[in-house]
Amino acid sequence: MVSQPPNNTAKEHWKHWRWTFLFAVSALLILFAPLPLPGAAPADRHIRIEASMFQFTPGELKINPGDRVTVELVSTDVVHGFSLDGYNFELKADPGQTATGIFVADKAGDFRFRCSVACGNLHPFMIGKLRVGPNFLLARGIGLGLLAVIVALWPLRKPSTHRLRSRP
Amino acid sequence: MLVKKETLARFLVVGLVLIAVVIPFGGQWLSGRNQPAINELHARMPENGGWSMDTIQAKVGQPLHLHITSDDVVHGFTIGKSDQPALEILPGEYVDTTLTFDRPGKYTFYCNRWCGPNHWRMRGTIEVSGTGTPLALDPQPLYLKLGIDIDSPKAAEAIPSKLASADRGAQFARLLPTYAVERDTYLSTSPAKLWLRLRAESALASLSDQDLWEAVAWIWQQQTTTEAIATGQKLYVTNCAACHGETGKGDGVMVRGLPVWDAGSHTSGDMTPQATGEGRVSPPDFTDPKHLLGASPVLLEGKIIRGGMGTGMPYWGPIFTTPQIEALVSYLYSFAWGYTNLQVK
Amino acid sequence: MTRLDLTCFPWAKTLLRSRWPQFLLRAITLAGFVFTILAGLFGSVVGSHNFAIIFVWIAWWTALKLFFIPFGGRSWCSICPIPMPGEWLQHGGILQPRGKGIGLDRRWPHFLKGSWLQAGGFLLVGLFGAVTLTSASVTAVVLLAIIVLALVLSLVFERRSFCNYLCPIGGFTGLYAQAGPVEVRVKDADVCAGHSEKTCYSACPWGQYPLALKSSANCGLCMECLRVCPTDNIAVNLRPWGSDLGPKTKHRLDEAFLGLVMLASALVDSAVFLGPWGQLKSAAYAIGSLPWLLFAGVFLVAALGVLPGLYAAAAWAAGRLGPSKTTLQNALAHYSQVLVPLGLMAWIAFTISFAFTKFSYVLAVVSDPLGWGWNLIGMSGTAWVGQATSFSLLLQIVLLAVGLFWASRVARRITESARPAMPLIAFSGIFSLGMLWLLIG
Repeated sequence: MVSQPPNNTAKEHWKHWRWTFLFAVSALLILFAPLPLPGAAPADRHIRIEASMFQFTPGELKINPGDRVTVELVSTDVVHGFSLDGYNFELKADPGQTATGIFVADKAGDFRFRCSVACGNLHPFMIGKLRVGPNFLLARGIGLGLLAVIVALWPLRKPSTHRLRSRP
Repeated sequence: MLVKKETLARFLVVGLVLIAVVIPFGGQWLSGRNQPAINELHARMPENGGWSMDTIQAKVGQPLHLHITSDDVVHGFTIGKSDQPALEILPGEYVDTTLTFDRPGKYTFYCNRWCGPNHWRMRGTIEVSGTGTPLALDPQPLYLKLGIDIDSPKAAEAIPSKLASADRGAQFARLLPTYAVERDTYLSTSPAKLWLRLRAESALASLSDQDLWEAVAWIWQQQTTTEAIATGQKLYVTNCAACHGETGKGDGVMVRGLPVWDAGSHTSGDMTPQATGEGRVSPPDFTDPKHLLGASPVLLEGKIIRGGMGTGMPYWGPIFTTPQIEALVSYLYSFAWGYTNLQVK
Repeated sequence: MTRLDLTCFPWAKTLLRSRWPQFLLRAITLAGFVFTILAGLFGSVVGSHNFAIIFVWIAWWTALKLFFIPFGGRSWCSICPIPMPGEWLQHGGILQPRGKGIGLDRRWPHFLKGSWLQAGGFLLVGLFGAVTLTSASVTAVVLLAIIVLALVLSLVFERRSFCNYLCPIGGFTGLYAQAGPVEVRVKDADVCAGHSEKTCYSACPWGQYPLALKSSANCGLCMECLRVCPTDNIAVNLRPWGSDLGPKTKHRLDEAFLGLVMLASALVDSAVFLGPWGQLKSAAYAIGSLPWLLFAGVFLVAALGVLPGLYAAAAWAAGRLGPSKTTLQNALAHYSQVLVPLGLMAWIAFTISFAFTKFSYVLAVVSDPLGWGWNLIGMSGTAWVGQATSFSLLLQIVLLAVGLFWASRVARRITESARPAMPLIAFSGIFSLGMLWLLIG
């Protein structure tokens, strides 16, 4: 009788919070669990990007993780820049002077590239997208969303069971 | 007490709003008072108005202070025919520079960073008055002196069957007549015309057509230096490549969609005015020998100085010095010749 | 009850009752507003170097979406400078009402009440957004027009009619304030029953009656009622998020419309400003041209057709799946609560997506607010192009997931059982997926 309380409270705590704990762990797993990259062999790529006011052509690029990418930036009207999120990679090109740079795509995911030289009014929105391998972050977001809906609907189970129990 | 509080509140509101108003206007007044002699110059794409001042007045010996900014894209500021280093003008940022002139006259300032198809029109004048030897007038361009029509079609009468090498042409040097290696001949004769003249020489009858072309290529190489070609390349890259193409093919980014240059229609009367106010065509392909080999250096210099009638080719007379133009011309020919031993690029 | 009454703390009570702190903040925001207009009109035309652009669309907008609304509900409205000149004239005094104000004090026309005009105003801002957000002078003109309009309306209509029925910012701030953690309510209803004068109602610039206040959507947290209540019966409660959303709360069709306009705007703005589609941006910018008309058409179809259509289908299905039958109009109005947390989190995620990359401009522009080459705090020219960090991307997906969770929760709470909630959850899921793809995909 004397030794019961500590055990009881611990058990009750666990019963009360076990689902919360489970959902929290699931969320962390969905967000941070490392996912395997597809086995496509890294290749050397040559990408020619044209920059004009205010878009990059092509605006969306797809490469594989590990690819060694040579980027040629061709400005077609004024001086433009190219700055790749997540990589320390920046180019600047005058019209008539193609700028070239090389980077290795060692990070997977979707990275935006932006114009890094003020080129007019819409300059802050001059954006393109580089996809390196599968977009795990998008998958994680979808997974997290599904978990969110499940968690939102979860306490549904309790009311029915409780009602049964509380009836004399 | 209530009235006192209300008065204090009103005082605070008026005070704070006054600060908000004083900051811009007061700031402007203050900076105007401190440096009255500073000229604020705004750079804008010609479509947006070009330089905010077309003409700037200055006096010999007196420093001219310029406070330069850009209102839209990256521009450059430099003075034509001078070795003033070009300044990069970033949008929203100010660059301060002081110019001092020791000779009166008209100086051209211009933008040297491509800022749209009308970039080359972004020029202004600094009128310097005062005592001193006036600026030397530009010498009359050679094409005028020689009476060469730089607009009439100039396709090469003959072209080599394959790329001619100036190195191999060196071996025929001792066979060439004196006039062939004279500067005046080089200046006023196109490679094709010189080849025809040499072809007619009995002393060179034993040389094949290709050999003769290589001799002409060697002659052209002798009229320039490695440094000049390097200078020419730098000038080409910053000023010409945007239209003429980085490889000289006439496929630069600025001329996309323009009709191909047709030697037949070369006067502005034939062209419909475009949005830029005059007809524009895409330039000829310099890597095609029939174009460059049919043009004499004088013709190319003339085109560069005066621009093209009704083609959109800018006039660079106020911008480049004569040595610069000569360097550029010798670089241009490298698109047609192979100057291997001069380590071009 | 899960409420923490701030007036229980003497220091909080003094702070809220005193007129000076709020007044000082209002004076500062008014001066800032005036300065912003001047900077926009006379400062540099280069947006990145103009205080007007950086502060309105980055600094203030971020503060509004990330702090004022999620943590304070309609708290910005308590210090907003826009209605102040008009209100001071109405009250005949700056610090407090002195009874000799000027103004016609008309009632706002009944048919114009609700959030319809506010939703329309927000749509208008979106249609011209590409130019407004990048042109300092246009921003300044818009701000000037708003404050003049508010002033004129204050001279004609009673109280804060502009804030209640016209201000596009006030529209969504009020809508999302229902999910916010702050409310003003009466402490003890019985005390009010014995007090016939209703001083609080006469004092309220928002035309609210504290005793009857069920929703924080139209309470601007100005604390006037707190100050005038003779029995100290007004409470300022901290409360759980989402407290104004529930099965018994009342909602109207115009809230549904505003909620949907906000969702559509979040999607379109994400596509235009943060997407890689340059032609779309140019179309949004070239006002009056054919591409812009196409863009405007697509925007309006999304905001007035697609999203409302999907939502109506979901509401209809939810109404049919529930045990008790309800009219479509009631369903549309009642279920619109689901749109509140969904939109709130989506806008926070969107704000993070562009604000986090541009934050370096804030200090740089404080150093040179007019873009005239000043260097007031030594930070001029220090802005950099910025990038989306993996942290900000993770944060965005977490926020969108929270929005979906919250919306599903609300859907479950306001329907009698799980089945009718499913269509609403499906709608929320589709919207969240769209936002996720636009921001992260």
